Amino acid sequence: MINLTLLAPELTLIGTGLAVLLIGLFLGTNAKKILGYLASLGVLVSLVLVLMSLGREDMLFNDTLSFDALSQFFKLVFLSVALLVSIASIKYTEGNSHTEEFYSLMIFATAGMMFVASANDLIVLFVAFELASLATYALAGFEKKNPISLEASIKYFMIGSLSAALMLFGISFIYGATGTTSIPGVAENIDLLLGSPMGLLSAVLMIAGLGFKIALVPFHMWAPDTYQGSPSVVSSLLAAGSKKMGFVAAFKVFMIALIALQAEWTTAFAVLAVITMTLGNVVALSQTSVKRMLAYSSVAQAGYIAMAFVVMSKTALAGAILYALSHGFMKAGAFIATAAVVYMVLSEKKDSETPDDIDNFRGLGRRMPVTALCMTIFLFALAGIPLTAGYMSKFVLFASTIEAGLVWLAVIAILNSAISLFYYAKVVKYMYFLPSDGEKITEPIPYTFAMLIAVIFVLVIGFWSEPFLYWAMEAAKVLI
Amino acid sequence: MSGIIDVSNIIYSYIPVAIILVVAFLMPPVTMFLVKQLSPRSKSPVKYETYEAGSVPTGSARIQFNVEYYLYAIAFVLFDIEVLFLYPWATIFREPSITIIATIEMLIFIFVVLFGYLYLIKKEALKWQK
Repeated sequence: MINLTLLAPELTLIGTGLAVLLIGLFLGTNAKKILGYLASLGVLVSLVLVLMSLGREDMLFNDTLSFDALSQFFKLVFLSVALLVSIASIKYTEGNSHTEEFYSLMIFATAGMMFVASANDLIVLFVAFELASLATYALAGFEKKNPISLEASIKYFMIGSLSAALMLFGISFIYGATGTTSIPGVAENIDLLLGSPMGLLSAVLMIAGLGFKIALVPFHMWAPDTYQGSPSVVSSLLAAGSKKMGFVAAFKVFMIALIALQAEWTTAFAVLAVITMTLGNVVALSQTSVKRMLAYSSVAQAGYIAMAFVVMSKTALAGAILYALSHGFMKAGAFIATAAVVYMVLSEKKDSETPDDIDNFRGLGRRMPVTALCMTIFLFALAGIPLTAGYMSKFVLFASTIEAGLVWLAVIAILNSAISLFYYAKVVKYMYFLPSDGEKITEPIPYTFAMLIAVIFVLVIGFWSEPFLYWAMEAAKVLI
Repeated sequence: MSGIIDVSNIIYSYIPVAIILVVAFLMPPVTMFLVKQLSPRSKSPVKYETYEAGSVPTGSARIQFNVEYYLYAIAFVLFDIEVLFLYPWATIFREPSITIIATIEMLIFIFVVLFGYLYLIKKEALKWQK
């Protein structure tokens, strides 16, 4: 009899998703508020179940799902983001007659991400990837009457389908040459790919397919439009959750399955990482929409994390994995803070077309003090100011790069980090130093609550990072 | 280490495919040429109708389907595909060691599909509105 207790978090989550969908059908629009609480509770229970299963290792379903430190760490990242998003969305979905769809799609997307983290087989990986993608395509276009949201959704869908096709094509070449789709199985039979042009081709296709999801430059074109156009809470799920799913899939595919082709893909990742962080940061400088700025900063952060594929040491991987966790909290928090501002603007001026414009952040320190403070902490953490999660993860990642002798890469990354401080600080300047004639606003509790949770974790990881770093190290050991 | 598939021979196993490809490219021009040479040609107004031996078409060919038709179509395709999953289950169902667990799994699956049906009805997706 297989050990289903390990699968309990996923089962709980899927059960919650179905329950939310069904209960929502029988509720009136006003009563649908409880769905948000129900979904948050389900995600929380699932989070606790993952925490309880920490340290256990097993394989399920003919070794197609593996449960280890790596998968559990990333599941915690996805579930924390999902928890923040579902709490914040209680306010966002208020009075919306499609609340049940929103929450069930969000939960199914999270379940898909969790299965990607556990996948030990390329087919399972692909199916789980698609589960998460399809749900988020629909979420990005959740504001059906808003053309910008629809445009975001269509762009995301088109590029997402293309990348899925590329990835599947890559998988088919890997399968064709090695005769197996099992990830460790591919690593065992890698001789068959080595030296044949198929190996290079499949590595390129996999980089392109996963690169779209991670939003590495040149595959990033969809990201700014989608993050800007989608509802802010959905952008936060996309940037903080879905992007990490791309990373965990890339870790599994490249570091475990295609490790012997390292010579081929390390150079590619080095080039991509440098272009990604530089372009992301430089373009972010001139953005006036805060969501778009956060999107480009998210592209840049993907560049930092991709450095781990170049350095390939245990510390670097631990740094990247820790970065994934911190980025989850920082980015989700920043997008939720933006969501609060968007809510404020829309409640004052109903048909504002650019509710996330930086001008709306004027005097936010006085108008919405808690939101402004949280946003400041998230932005400084994203820039990598000491005593925040962003600093710790950047420190580990950059230090390991220098340790591995790749000083040039570390220098580029640090210079980029310095550039990024400019546009983050610009938002802080608008919030605290520029006057505004707006009234003080009562801050919506769900947004504030979600932001405070994120702030606590951003600071805890920054102040007391040993346990998190230890977890990340354990997770990195699975890969190397 | 010997692999599962012999890569050195893989190219030769594709020779039949290559032959088919060549034949496929040659076939249409050759047959069209032969037909043109052999068949008698006649020209009359009836010849240029849409259905030469059928009824006279009416109206424009470009009509818009009601968008609800696609909802039906998608729902149909969904449930149609779901049934496919029953086939592998049905083939192994009789093995004693697996009967109970397979039945439970299939019931869960069918219930999830049933939820979907309930959802469709509740959301009035199957109601034809004009």
